[in-house]
Amino acid sequence: MKKRIFRNTMLVMFFVVALCGVLILGVLYDHFTDELQGELINEATYITQGVEANGIDYLNQLEKIDTRITWVDTDGTVLYDNKVDALTMENHGDRQEIKVAMTSSKGKSIRYSNTLAEKTIYYAVRIADGSVIRVSNTQSSVVQILKEMLRPVIVVLLMAFALAGVLAYRVAKQIMAPLDNIDFEHPEDAKVYDEMAPFISKIIRQNKQIKANMDVLQSQQQEFRLITENMQEGFIVIDKTAHILSYNTSALKLFGVNMEVENKSVLVLNRTDQFSKLVNDSLQGKHMEEIILLGDRYCNVYINPVMDKEYVAGAVIIITDVTEKEERENLRREFSANVSHELKTPLTSISGIAEIIKNGIVDEKDIPKFAGNIYEEAKRLISLVEDIIKISRMDEMEGIPEKQPVDLYVVAQKALENLSQTAENKNIKVEQKGDFCQISGVEVILYEMIYNICDNAIKYNKQGGNVIVETGYEAEQAYIRVSDTGIGIPEEQIDRIFERFYRVDKSHSKDVGGTGLGLSIVKHGAKLHNATIDVDSTLSQGTTITMRFGI
Amino acid sequence: MRKGFEKQLEELNMEIIKMGALCEKAILGTTKALFQGDDTYIEKCRLVEEEIDKSERDIENLCMGLFIKQQPVASDLRNISSALKMISDMERIGDQCADISSMIRYTKEQDMSEYTHLDEMSKVATKMVSNAVESYVQQDIKLARSVMDIDDIVDRQFDEVKHNLIKHISIMPENGEFWIDVIMIAKYYERIADHAVNIAEWVEYSITGEHR
Repeated sequence: MKKRIFRNTMLVMFFVVALCGVLILGVLYDHFTDELQGELINEATYITQGVEANGIDYLNQLEKIDTRITWVDTDGTVLYDNKVDALTMENHGDRQEIKVAMTSSKGKSIRYSNTLAEKTIYYAVRIADGSVIRVSNTQSSVVQILKEMLRPVIVVLLMAFALAGVLAYRVAKQIMAPLDNIDFEHPEDAKVYDEMAPFISKIIRQNKQIKANMDVLQSQQQEFRLITENMQEGFIVIDKTAHILSYNTSALKLFGVNMEVENKSVLVLNRTDQFSKLVNDSLQGKHMEEIILLGDRYCNVYINPVMDKEYVAGAVIIITDVTEKEERENLRREFSANVSHELKTPLTSISGIAEIIKNGIVDEKDIPKFAGNIYEEAKRLISLVEDIIKISRMDEMEGIPEKQPVDLYVVAQKALENLSQTAENKNIKVEQKGDFCQISGVEVILYEMIYNICDNAIKYNKQGGNVIVETGYEAEQAYIRVSDTGIGIPEEQIDRIFERFYRVDKSHSKDVGGTGLGLSIVKHGAKLHNATIDVDSTLSQGTTITMRFGI
Repeated sequence: MRKGFEKQLEELNMEIIKMGALCEKAILGTTKALFQGDDTYIEKCRLVEEEIDKSERDIENLCMGLFIKQQPVASDLRNISSALKMISDMERIGDQCADISSMIRYTKEQDMSEYTHLDEMSKVATKMVSNAVESYVQQDIKLARSVMDIDDIVDRQFDEVKHNLIKHISIMPENGEFWIDVIMIAKYYERIADHAVNIAEWVEYSITGEHR
C-alpha cells in the first residue's frame, strides 16, 4: 500500500510538473512575442525619425541589424530592403500591415512569410511623406530564447520532481504509520483512521472468537489428558508414520521408558519384532490384539487403527497389564491337568480291580482283599475331591463364614486329637506347648490349615520322631509353630511346596498318602487371614513351619 | 533443506534402533538355544546375521550421504559419527552370535546349563547388549555408564569359567573338544560384552561429546 501511494503520488506529480513545464513555456512564449513586438515598435519609431530626417542614407548606414527593414512607397513599390534586393521585390501595397498603415498611420500583422519561410511579425508606420516604413522580425528568435530557457526549466522541474518524490515517500509512510503500528494481539488499543474502524472491530471480534475456541480446545485437551493420565491402562495415540502424538504415564511405566516420547517413533518404546509387526499391521487398517511380554509383565496390547474415510490416519494403542490374569490362567491350566491326572490314578486301579472281579478270575476268598483295595482307592478319591472342593471354594472366596475370635491353641488341640491315631501308628511323640492365643479368623479354615501342617509333620516324620506344636505371641503377632524331626525339604524346593500337587517326593508314593493339596490349602488359608508362613528346614533333620497372624 | 535433514536424522535414529533390536534378538535367541535347548533360533540365525549386515551397510550409506550432502556440525556431527562407530560394534555382536549358534550343533549332546558360570555370563552379556541399545534409544547416560561398569563382572566370570574348565579337563580329558568349544563360547560372550561397552561409550559420546 505504501508503494502504491508513493507510485500514484509520483504519477500525479509527474503530470503536474509536466503540465507546469508546458504552461510556463507557453506563457514565456507569449511574453517574448509581446516583448518582440514592443521592440519592433520602438525600432520603427527610431527608424521613422531617422528616415524623416536623412532619407535613404540613414537606412543605408544601418547595416548590421537582425531586424528586417523595408521602405515602401505610397504606391506600394519597395524603395529599400536591408535583407532582400529591393528591385526584385514585388509590389507590397497589398500587404495587410502596409495597407493599414497607409490609412491609419500604423499597421501590424503576424504572417507566415513566403520569402523567408518563417513566421514573421510585421510592424508598419507611415511617415510624413506618406510612404511606409516596415520593420519585421522572425519569431525564430523567440523560439531560440525558449530553447535556451528549456534546460534550466527542466532542471528546475526535475529538482521539483525529486523533492516531490522525497515528500511523497514520507507522506506515504506517514499515512501508513497507524496501520503499520496496529498490534494484532491487542487491536483495541490501535489508533487508526475512522475508515478502518470496521476492520479493527472485526479483528477484535475474531480474536475473541479464536481465543474462546482455543480455551475450549485447551480445556478439552486438559480433560482428555486428566482422564488418560488417571487410567491404569497404557494409552498411546500414534500417527500414520508411527510417531507418538499423545500418551499417558501408565504407558511409559508399562514400557519401562523414562523420558519424553512425544513426536518420537513408537519403536522407542518397544523395538521387538512382535510389537513393530503389531503396529505395522494396525497401520494397514487391521484391529490387532495380542499379549506381549514387557519386561516381566504380560501385557495385552490392543491397537485400533483410526480411519479417516478410507485411509488410516493413525492408531490408538491401549495396553493393559494382564500378568496376574495370565499367571492365574497358567495355574488353572496346570491345576486342571494335575487334577485329571490325580483323579485318574485311583480310578484306573478301581476300574482295573473291578474288571478282574467281573471277569470271574478272582477266587471267592480273595474278593474281600480286592474290595478292600477298591475301598482304599475310593477313599483316596473322596479325600482328593474334598480337598479340591475346599481349595476351589477358597479360590472363589465362596461360602466362607465370617471371621470370629478363634483360639489357635484350642484349634491346634482339636487337630492333634484327630491325628493322635496316625501319630500312634508311626510311634511319634506329639507335644503341644504355649498359651491360649486368640485371633480373628475362620475356625474351619484355621483347623484345616493346622491339621494339614501337623498331618505333614507326622506323615513325613521318621519312626519314633517328635512333633512340637507351639502357640503364642511374638512381636505383636500371634504365631503357631510346628516343628518336626522328619525328612526335611531340600532348600531349592521350599518355594515350591505350596504349589498345588507339588511333591518333594516325585513318586507320588501311596504309602505316605496325601493328595498334594494340603500345603496349598494352608497357603490359601494364610492369604485369607493375611498370615505369613516361614519354612525353615534342614534335610533329614526336620522342618519348622511358623505361621504368624496379625492380631 | 533443513527439514529434509531432520527427517534423515530421524530415519537414522530409527534404523539404529531397528539394528539394535536385531542384535538383541540374535543374542537372546542364541542364549536360549544354548541353555534351554530351544533350537528354533538356530535355523534363523544366518538370516538375522545377514539382516544385521544389511542394516550396517544401509546405515553406513545413510551416514555418508548425510556427511556429504548436509555437512553436519556440532551435536549432529557427533550423532552421525557415533552412529557409524556403533553399527560396526553391533555388526560384530551379530557375527559373534552367529558363531556361537554354529557351535551349538557340536555342544548339543551336553547340558550346558550345568556350567553355571557360563550361564550367568551369557545372561549378563545379554543384559548388557540390551541395556546398551536401550541407553541409545532413551539417550540415557546413566544406563550407558552402568553398562560400562558391568563389564568387570563379565571379565571376572570369564576367569571363573576358565578355572572351572581346567578342573573339568583334568577330570574328563576325553571330552577335550567339548571343553574347547565351551571356552570359545565363553570368549565370544566376553567379546560381545566388550562390544556392548563400546556401544555404551559411543552413546555417551553422542550425548556429552566426551569419549573414554
